[in-house]
Amino acid sequence: MTNLYHNRSAQWIVYALMFAFLAAIPLITNDSFLLNQFATYGVYGMLAVSISLSWGFGGILNLGQGIAFGLGAYGMGMTMQMQSQDPVSNPIPPFMLNNSLDHLPALWSPFQNTALGFILSLAVPTIFYVFFGSLMFRARVSGPFIAIMTLAMLTALYTLILDMQPYTNGANGIAPPAPLKLLGAEIDPYSVASYWIVYGALLFVTVASKLITQSKFGLVTQALRSDPERVRFLGYNVASYETIVYALSGLIAALAGCCLVMLVQYVSPAQLDVNFSIGMVIWAGIGGRFSLIGSMLGAFLIQGGQSYLGDQFLATWLLLLGGFFILVVRFLPKGLAGLLELSLGMIGAHMQPKDASRPQRGAEATSKAEA
Amino acid sequence: MGVLNIHNLCKSFGGTSVINDFSLEVTELTLCCLVGPNGAGKTTTMDLITGRQKPTSGQILLRSDEITSLGEHEIARLGIGRKFQVPAVFRDLSVRQNLEVAYSREVSPFKNLFSYRPSGLNQKLEEILTITGLGGRVETEAGTLSHGETQWLEIGMVLMQNPEILLLDEPVAGMTEGEIEKTVGILNELKRTHTLIVVEHDMAFVREIADVVTVMHMGALLAQGSISEMEANPKVREVYLGDPED
Repeated sequence: MTNLYHNRSAQWIVYALMFAFLAAIPLITNDSFLLNQFATYGVYGMLAVSISLSWGFGGILNLGQGIAFGLGAYGMGMTMQMQSQDPVSNPIPPFMLNNSLDHLPALWSPFQNTALGFILSLAVPTIFYVFFGSLMFRARVSGPFIAIMTLAMLTALYTLILDMQPYTNGANGIAPPAPLKLLGAEIDPYSVASYWIVYGALLFVTVASKLITQSKFGLVTQALRSDPERVRFLGYNVASYETIVYALSGLIAALAGCCLVMLVQYVSPAQLDVNFSIGMVIWAGIGGRFSLIGSMLGAFLIQGGQSYLGDQFLATWLLLLGGFFILVVRFLPKGLAGLLELSLGMIGAHMQPKDASRPQRGAEATSKAEA
Repeated sequence: MGVLNIHNLCKSFGGTSVINDFSLEVTELTLCCLVGPNGAGKTTTMDLITGRQKPTSGQILLRSDEITSLGEHEIARLGIGRKFQVPAVFRDLSVRQNLEVAYSREVSPFKNLFSYRPSGLNQKLEEILTITGLGGRVETEAGTLSHGETQWLEIGMVLMQNPEILLLDEPVAGMTEGEIEKTVGILNELKRTHTLIVVEHDMAFVREIADVVTVMHMGALLAQGSISEMEANPKVREVYLGDPED
């Protein structure tokens, strides 16, 4: 019954290989447009990992990951915008002046400090997830109802940001005039440096998530995914496990949001678009939500497909994607990673046709038939 | 005073009274069988003890501590383990992982984020695998176990919790003769170090394991005593065991 798929060392080797490959990209090409695009895929990869963590390992079908992603993105957008404002001579961003604000809103003032801006970009979404999550999970909301609540919250936040025109510039979004300045240096979004920053973030997020899934905590979340009641009777506080895994996935999505704004120098309510959040779930569904790397590859595959094939197929692309998703859900509930698991399992069984437990199992099979 | 004491427990759903002034005292290191016809309130009693449902009135004491208002996980931590009527194991995890999850000495999520090999796990795992006889199946996915093995796995999981009191809801339902025999062996062994409350319909099985038999009827205590006393009791015969003709 040894399946190479479940071998932890083999898993780490695959992760190492993938990150070695991603590290080789800037050595192969110095096309700055391509590097920027691949870095954007890294952002999608982080989002896919966050979905895999909450949905695949925690059983929390989270259709509102745009909440954390969007809040993180807005936090970064505000930080970058304030970097371009002079605190004395010109403290108010132009769009606010256009909306006839004559002073910097209190909501914005902490973002004058870059470090504080970063902290808030990550902390606000995470704390929001802790509150919203504990509200849901303590009331033992589960399954599709989580999907509905997260979706509703996402839509509410989207509308709120759209509506608060003087503070958020509404549908136009915030377009900081200059790239992010970090420790005195400007991070050109099209430079190798920004690729490495996203690479580092993705590497950190993936390794940390992988370690979490292999820990006792990860095991408990995998157990509560199928039977939260049982886990409760084993002495675990299920709601706090769910809240923590949900908040961690939110933290990752917020980091992804920050990285995206660094790369595109723009943030708008589109980051909180429902379609985009559902898209993340589709990546994980197709790639394999029970596998972090599977989800990540699902994101690369689909976003890559959209970039390169989407232009040729235009509107048909969405139809193709939808059809593909239905096929995967119907025939490969564990996604493409599940296909790999299945094939490696078959190879494993083929290579060791007889293991120690076999004769015993024959006897049990008969007793099962009697029962 | 027993290790578990139930005083005047009542539970009603809407206007329907399911548990009616039920009291029970369970002596330490005994095996108490809870029997009774369908709808007598046996499983509801288990739900009330383990916190899955809250009683309308009455008290449940673990030794002298009131546990009536505690949550499921808190009651579990105090040392009451429960096996469900429909075997509840984590079907997509391996037998080893099931037992590892059940090893809940450390329940803090923050500590468990950084815990990979909890101390004492392997020793406990070996011990439980020996008791349940699942040694050859550790890497098997729990969903593919036979019915009997699934029941043993769940008993094993409850034991991994290291409980003082075990509540077992129909542990031999659907088992073959051979499997029942093995389960009898396991339970008689456990009796020496644990207090057990077993809900069971199979009277032959009850005869093999029970120190005390408690008969429930319509949510209330009908009679309590040794198995032979119960079999001789006319009230019990009338409502539960049936007259000799069937």
